[in-house]
Amino acid sequence: MMKPILSGLLIFMFLYIVADIFVKQQTIGLSSSEVSLTLFGNTEEFLDPISKAVFLETLHAEVFFLMMILLMLSAVFIRLRAKKRFSITLLNITMTSALLALLSLALAYFFSASFINLYVVTFFLWHCGALLMSALSLWSLYRA
Amino acid sequence: MHSLYKYAIVYFLLFSLLLLGSSFLLFEHKIGFSQLEVLNYYLGNEESFMIAKTPLGLLKIILPHIFAFGLFMMVILHFLVFTNKRNSSEVLFIIYAAFIAAFLELFSPFLILGGIWIFAYVKIASFFAMLGVSLYVSYLLFISIVKE
Repeated sequence: MMKPILSGLLIFMFLYIVADIFVKQQTIGLSSSEVSLTLFGNTEEFLDPISKAVFLETLHAEVFFLMMILLMLSAVFIRLRAKKRFSITLLNITMTSALLALLSLALAYFFSASFINLYVVTFFLWHCGALLMSALSLWSLYRA
Repeated sequence: MHSLYKYAIVYFLLFSLLLLGSSFLLFEHKIGFSQLEVLNYYLGNEESFMIAKTPLGLLKIILPHIFAFGLFMMVILHFLVFTNKRNSSEVLFIIYAAFIAAFLELFSPFLILGGIWIFAYVKIASFFAMLGVSLYVSYLLFISIVKE
């Protein structure tokens, strides 16, 4: 009975992570220059920077969704692939990069724009890691 | 508990710290931590061009938070099952304190709008109580994981 339920959950998580990439492309941006433009604006192009209130609200909501999604995904992943050594590495890389993505975005906004590059790298890293975790969990679910 | 679940819990606790940190910054930036600032935020202030909140406007703000507070508290508190304090009266107190603080944090603004201004203090106190309880639970979980 748990197989179709977990499959549904994993497929929806996979879709969420893919959709998140497209949404971020349209909102914050995916490249360093796009993220910089969103956070700090551009006087030559008459683009306003993001306000502190909007930035904090976005970050706050992002942290909540990310922690819940990754907790559920890691719980399923551990349940299905606990014996593989590679799983620990993948779990650690995904979780650490997700944490760093959120931290570096806040640091970029409040302290230094140089953290934007770290944000972009860790953003793609955690998305790839989470997609791989979902795919491997699905694989283990149907191979068993 | 499987050792890998400890990783998942530790990461969840780190995310929780980020969540609490961002909520602190948001509260400080949008509302403020003094009674006057809380009253101005909810009742409006012509000098600062702040518009008074309506009950419907408040409901729209707290709607996602009702679900999020409940879910967050349930998740973080249920991890206490893995600690050696799981059957103690302290944990029972923490659980009640967490949910009561969350309830007051969400619904005290309605009483501020109703003219009971003392609830501005309740709003601030319940916010810090929620932060305190969440941090204490995180500490208990972290210590339990490290000791195991």
